[in-house]
Amino acid sequence: MGGGYTARVSTRYQGAEIMTALLELRNLRKDYGGLRAVDDVSLTVPEGAIIGLIGPNGSGKSTLINLIAGATQRSAGRVIFAGDDISDLPPDAVFKLGIARGYQEPALYLKLTVLDNMLLPVKNQRGEGPWYAPWWRTWHNEEAKHAERALAVLEQVQLLQQYDTLASDLSGGQMKLLEIARSLMGQPKLLLLDEPTAGVAPKLAYEIFEQIARLRREHGITFLIVEHRLEILFDFADTVYVMHLGNLLAEGSVAEIANHATVREVYFGE
Amino acid sequence: MPPALLTTSLVNTIQIGSLYALMALGITLTFSVMKLPNFAHAEFVTAGAYAALIVSLSGVLNPLAIMAAAFVVGALTALISHIAVFKPLENREVSLYTLILASFAVGLIIRYILFLMADYFNLFDLRIGIPLTILFREGSLILSNLFAWVVPTSILLVILLTLLLNATPLGREMRALANNSILARVIGIPVERVKNYTWLLVGGLAGVAGALWGLQSAVNPLMGWAAIISVFAAAILGGLSSFSGTILGAYVVAFSENTLMLFLNFNFGVDLAYKPAIPFIIIIAVLLLRPQGFTEIFRRAGDLDR
Amino acid sequence: MINIDIGATAVAVLTLFGIYSLMAISLNLEYGVAGVPNFGKALFISIGAYTAGITYTRTLPLLAGFEAIHPCGPTMGGALQLRSEIMASQPAAGFINLALTFLIAAAVAGAVGFAVSYITLRLKEEWFLALVLLVGGETVRIVVRGADDFICSHNGISGVAQPFYFVEDPRSSALLFMLLALALALLAYVYSQRLIHSPYGRMLKGLREDEDITRGLGKGVSLARAQIMAVGSVIAAIGGALFALNTGFVNTNDYVVNLTLDVWVMVVLGGIGNNRGALLGALLIALLDRFTQIGAIALNMSGSELEFNYVRFIAFGLILIWMLRNRPGGLLPESRLTTNAHDVAKGLIGR
Repeated sequence: MGGGYTARVSTRYQGAEIMTALLELRNLRKDYGGLRAVDDVSLTVPEGAIIGLIGPNGSGKSTLINLIAGATQRSAGRVIFAGDDISDLPPDAVFKLGIARGYQEPALYLKLTVLDNMLLPVKNQRGEGPWYAPWWRTWHNEEAKHAERALAVLEQVQLLQQYDTLASDLSGGQMKLLEIARSLMGQPKLLLLDEPTAGVAPKLAYEIFEQIARLRREHGITFLIVEHRLEILFDFADTVYVMHLGNLLAEGSVAEIANHATVREVYFGE
Repeated sequence: MPPALLTTSLVNTIQIGSLYALMALGITLTFSVMKLPNFAHAEFVTAGAYAALIVSLSGVLNPLAIMAAAFVVGALTALISHIAVFKPLENREVSLYTLILASFAVGLIIRYILFLMADYFNLFDLRIGIPLTILFREGSLILSNLFAWVVPTSILLVILLTLLLNATPLGREMRALANNSILARVIGIPVERVKNYTWLLVGGLAGVAGALWGLQSAVNPLMGWAAIISVFAAAILGGLSSFSGTILGAYVVAFSENTLMLFLNFNFGVDLAYKPAIPFIIIIAVLLLRPQGFTEIFRRAGDLDR
Repeated sequence: MINIDIGATAVAVLTLFGIYSLMAISLNLEYGVAGVPNFGKALFISIGAYTAGITYTRTLPLLAGFEAIHPCGPTMGGALQLRSEIMASQPAAGFINLALTFLIAAAVAGAVGFAVSYITLRLKEEWFLALVLLVGGETVRIVVRGADDFICSHNGISGVAQPFYFVEDPRSSALLFMLLALALALLAYVYSQRLIHSPYGRMLKGLREDEDITRGLGKGVSLARAQIMAVGSVIAAIGGALFALNTGFVNTNDYVVNLTLDVWVMVVLGGIGNNRGALLGALLIALLDRFTQIGAIALNMSGSELEFNYVRFIAFGLILIWMLRNRPGGLLPESRLTTNAHDVAKGLIGR
């Protein structure tokens, strides 16, 4: 871990503005037995960007997300985040460094309330061990502050009125929003989202992406988004990477990808 | 250790190992097909043993008739447990821990009903009374007709069960269910019926194992419960999925409890009181170090997860 | 007919209630709140009991200024007489010894619980933990029973008197011990109740629902699980020490799978994840236990052949199955956890 890598890599980003790389994957590989799910993938996510990751089913997108989040062990290659090698860190350490993630199926605590879902990921809570937990006074003040912040975030995603609802009683779209809102409580720099609009009505899907754009604008959060709804993704993404059979097939701006011959052949079947 | 003792203990290993195999296959089958680690399996054994004992006390001394009675009672006990307890819980998709707990509860009920019955009719520690004849004697090694009943019967039943699983429609359906229960339902396998038959089979075999156990030692309400951990150890050695692995596991457990234990006792002075700890140590070691058990060794006929 | 001394019966039931409460609260924290299937409850309870067996025979004489007599074998009787005399005449030594028992039991059980939870990381499937704990408990029991000098193998140790043995009136003595048991149960209840309604309780409930998600949200779930196993084991061991003092002897035969099942019945009956449920379950089982005892005696005196103790186990099995089938949440289902965050929210939204 750590140490060796210090140089910041620059990439071109939309209007020739020079940005630093927040996340960098170098020759990342993942084998499952004989199957190579991710094959020698190198890519760069500049700070403050919204990066789309597309590709047919089974092309290795979700595995890539799992590799970054530390949920899956890599076979080879490196994951560099904000200049540090995080390739071998467990998921909890990755989250603490500032990488939060969403799942295809919203991974909420269905038996906890919306507010408790929001408060759970807050880092370094004093009352989170058997020693201080029984002594309310030691953590009441910070709990109140966290609650205020959680409620402010809930208001932004229009879930404030549901703060006391069990997560299982939310609609599909609300669950997606809550999942994104919840990951914000860990104050992430990078959000990895795996199909944030899967199973959501078109209008709400657009709303979810507007929230994403707003979070980037207001909080400077960087996004790496796996998405199948290209029509929406293309309205918001700065750069799009295309995966196919574990490989990176292409990278470029939305316009470049939309007109890329091989991409059209593989992805759109043309 | 003295050679005579070695031979006797090896005979015990074969005899007890065969019975363990018969019981452990039931555990493996229940776990594969029903996804249930069934601790009440012990009581199916005891129920079968008592059925055999009562039939033999009523004057029927034909071993085949005795075993048939044991099969029927074991099978019915298992089926009733399924219908009354496990099926409703499965339908509600409860957690595995709830099912484990329920299996303990079922075991408790059957065991203490048998206790009540044994107490009332004074049926403690009786042997199933078929006449004993000595077939072979060489020094301290004695082979009676019990050995001739217990070992071949167990082995024959194990072979029949393997054939049933591999060569009959029911066996194919059971294997399909073991592999993927959702897929099995989709392709039109009558899941409930297959489960019922599986319970009958599992309970019946446990019952026969109980009868055979009662032939060689004595029948009491705790006999199945006393053996259940050894039997689970055998099934876990088979990775809870492999038939051949379970059978090998049964003999390994029996060998450790008999021959190995005597060897340790003679050569290293290990107290025989520690014998019950052997299956426990096997279970913990396998789960921690090699959870797949012997499944990797056997990838052929009779494996349920093939 | 037999005469039932209502006062004595009430004291006995409430003492048992206090002891069972400790056991039920400990399992409720582990399984009900954090989702750790502790099927080795008897092991952690037995640690408390074995500790009592050891301190009463080794440290108690030293504390009272005597030399310890080997408690097993030919000197068994002398050792028993010595500890009875000390307990009757030197209350201070008895209390210090009790404190020592609690301390050692808590330390050992806490350490074992903490360490054992890390086994989960090595297991292929989650439920194997249940099996390992079940089997581990029995293994320890067999080893303790086999070891001669520990608590005298299968003979066990008798004359493990409760600390108020010196009070001459047996009724007052029993009453004081009941108060001790209830006080400790109350302490455990308040502590665990506060634990549940805290950020820690929130994390544990998260861990119960989904370990991977909780880890993905930055929580060190292995440590959290180890901590709650340690807390639960300490409470169980204190309960175990009291259990031994209540019966007056320590024998490995008491700490079998059936004891583990008893505690599970309490939690499933009362309410999984609800401390009040755990208390209710403990009370009902304490009552059931006492009444089976009375029933057994009554039945015996009436000349019946029926062994009533068997009926107790059948009743247990039936209760368990009925609850699992019809009231899976228990008599008092789990209530929502609340911290002051909810008050903040209420104040903000104004409802």
